[in-house]
Amino acid sequence: MARYILRRILQMIPTIFGVIVITFILFNLVGGSPGAMTLGHHVSPRLLEEFDEVRGFNKPLLMGLWSGTRAFEDADFSRSASPWQGKKGVQRQAVDTRSGWAVSFAPDESHLIPLRFPLHPETRFRWSFRYRLSEGAHAWIFPADADELDKDAEPWREGTPFPAAPDWRQWRTMIDTSAQPDQQQWMLYVTGGTLEIDIVRLQRRANHWFDSQFVHYLDQIRRFDLGYSSQTDQPIGQMIRAGIIPSLTLTVPIFAIGLVLAICISLVCAFFRDTWLDRFFVVLSVALMSINYLVWIIVGQYVLAFQWGWFPVWGYESMAYLLLPILIGVVSGLGTDVRFYRTVMLDEMYKEYVRTAFAKGVSRKGVLFKHVLKNALITVVTNVVIAIPFLYTGSLLLESFFGIPGLGYLGINAINSSDVDVIRAIVLIGSVLYVVANLFTDICYAWVDPRVKLT
Amino acid sequence: MSATTATAPQSGHSLWQEARRRLRRNRLAMACLWIIGIYTALALYGEGVYRWHQWRDVTPSYQRTDLDKQYLQPSYLRAPFAREQMDWATGETYTVSGWQRWGAGWTRLAQHPLGTDGLGRDVFQRLVQGTRIAYQVGIITSLIAIPLGVLLGCLAGYFGGRTDDFIVWLYSTFAAIPGLLFILAIAMVVGQGLLGVYLGIGLTMWVGLCRLIRGEVIKHRDRPYVAAARALGLSHVRIIFRHILPNVFHVVIVTFTLRFPAAIGTEVFLSFLGIGVQGEPSWGIMISNARLRLWHGVWWEMAFVTAAIFFIVLAFNLLGDALRDALDPRLRTEGEGDHE
Repeated sequence: MARYILRRILQMIPTIFGVIVITFILFNLVGGSPGAMTLGHHVSPRLLEEFDEVRGFNKPLLMGLWSGTRAFEDADFSRSASPWQGKKGVQRQAVDTRSGWAVSFAPDESHLIPLRFPLHPETRFRWSFRYRLSEGAHAWIFPADADELDKDAEPWREGTPFPAAPDWRQWRTMIDTSAQPDQQQWMLYVTGGTLEIDIVRLQRRANHWFDSQFVHYLDQIRRFDLGYSSQTDQPIGQMIRAGIIPSLTLTVPIFAIGLVLAICISLVCAFFRDTWLDRFFVVLSVALMSINYLVWIIVGQYVLAFQWGWFPVWGYESMAYLLLPILIGVVSGLGTDVRFYRTVMLDEMYKEYVRTAFAKGVSRKGVLFKHVLKNALITVVTNVVIAIPFLYTGSLLLESFFGIPGLGYLGINAINSSDVDVIRAIVLIGSVLYVVANLFTDICYAWVDPRVKLT
Repeated sequence: MSATTATAPQSGHSLWQEARRRLRRNRLAMACLWIIGIYTALALYGEGVYRWHQWRDVTPSYQRTDLDKQYLQPSYLRAPFAREQMDWATGETYTVSGWQRWGAGWTRLAQHPLGTDGLGRDVFQRLVQGTRIAYQVGIITSLIAIPLGVLLGCLAGYFGGRTDDFIVWLYSTFAAIPGLLFILAIAMVVGQGLLGVYLGIGLTMWVGLCRLIRGEVIKHRDRPYVAAARALGLSHVRIIFRHILPNVFHVVIVTFTLRFPAAIGTEVFLSFLGIGVQGEPSWGIMISNARLRLWHGVWWEMAFVTAAIFFIVLAFNLLGDALRDALDPRLRTEGEGDHE
């Protein structure tokens, strides 16, 4: 048994890893910029960069040293001369490179490279250029303050000269903002000819090869650090802990009452199978299933709470506030459950041991409660354990409609405000709970049912 | 050939003919088929209306606001045959008499048969558009989920070994993530609009199908007919898709029938939350609008949307059950329901 449990625990690991990978792919890769998703598309690039900095979203995705920065978007000039659009002495022209366009810089002038915000301090960056220098031309890239530029002092002599390039060539130069914290503005200076640039790119260097978003994410999970909500700035772990109790006060009664009711009705169905009573319950359960969940809540709240005043409409102050959501939860879930358990019971009814029991003269009641129910309990237990993680997730709609401050409410709010970190945390915890519940089911199964082989 | 005729059932019917015969005798299932047929016709009509307006580049009637016709009750409640009639535009009453009373009465009965909403838009037209969107979601999500589920299920079941391990790992990972939240997260990440809905539902729906198909294919893998096909030197692709798949295809049909209404329900939910359809009258958006109006006593919009969803979901659920009984009585209800 111990070996079986150990083996099952080992099998859990790939699944949990898979969940981590999927959430990573979903939120870091597919979504584009989580910052833009959370803060909206109309905030300043600097704010987005800070958001990414805090959450590690500005690192390379899987591994690598270099990643882009919002301070300077990659420019290849195939559409416009941006970021030098309309600047004096800068011209966009067709050339024979892959992008087909380059900008040329007039000589004897210094040209500012427009950054959208000062570079992050204590980080290493690099400029990459694909450029060409005309015959006899020299060019430099140098840090300077555009307003206090003293031409006579020739500050570019302090900068880095572009290597001679009669034909297109790739060149990179490193900058380190920790060595010279004043390197906030960068300029180009050309003399004796023109400098043509085809592609220019600014990249930031990560601390090491594996200083990536994925490793950062794994590290966060290892530390049980779920991060902070971007909406309320509260730690997410705390928000989730606060939400669990209200969620459970709602979902546990719904689940327990629903389970008992469904099993009772399904036993009635099995007892009176193929009579009008059975058929009535079958049709009723399909009908209950077919009414949309939203409608249950809206109409229930409107009619029972608002019009007839039987229950409080909204809030979470006493037990009375929970009654209506529990009622709605039970009724709306009943159809599915009755259908499922009825099939389970009937499945058992057609087994051979039941025929034997009948043949040896056991009463219908005796067969049903002593034999069938006991054997059906295995399936019931499986279903119960597997439903436990769903209890944690709470009921998204019920909670937000009735103002119960649980995890469902939290989830809906997070979705409405695109709070990526909160959703990610809830999804992650829910999945882990599901995997653990699965483990318990299998252990229960092996323990209850001697036919299950422990291999 | 002679060997197969010896073992074939006396009636000489194939599985599908047999299933059709059994389904025909089931009156409830036939009624459901009729209901689904009517909905399909409405959805096609809605698609036509939608395309036509798009082609003409005009605002369709179901989107045009007309504040004179705000909150009209369903036509039969507006006493269409009464002597006293009211002009919507001016609010004046006028009397109709004689033949006109009856002739125009029928016209009035056909005008806004299910009433109008708070902006004077026709509820019936909007319901038809909702049907169109529901079908669109049901079909496209199936087009994502069915090929994915069938392909992966067949591969896992047929080849076993490493392939099977990988695919089982993949679907148990997907199954571990709480369904509704996963759909919401996908829809949120992909962005508002129908694409998010399609991907969200499609990428979660394939799991159940894949698991069922894998189980069925495993059962068939070692049957003599597969061994014979292998001995003939047929390729794996041919064996899987020409020989095994037709024998397990009923699983796909039953799953499709039972998942279609679930997809519709999820779409309603997503649109209600505002991450689904944008700016078009989906059922979820209608519920979301009608919900506020319900508190002012405007019940008909809510009632008709509820009825529209109810009948299509009911028809699909009952038909799915009937199909399952007809095609393969051994298939059981799938595990957990939707724990919302």
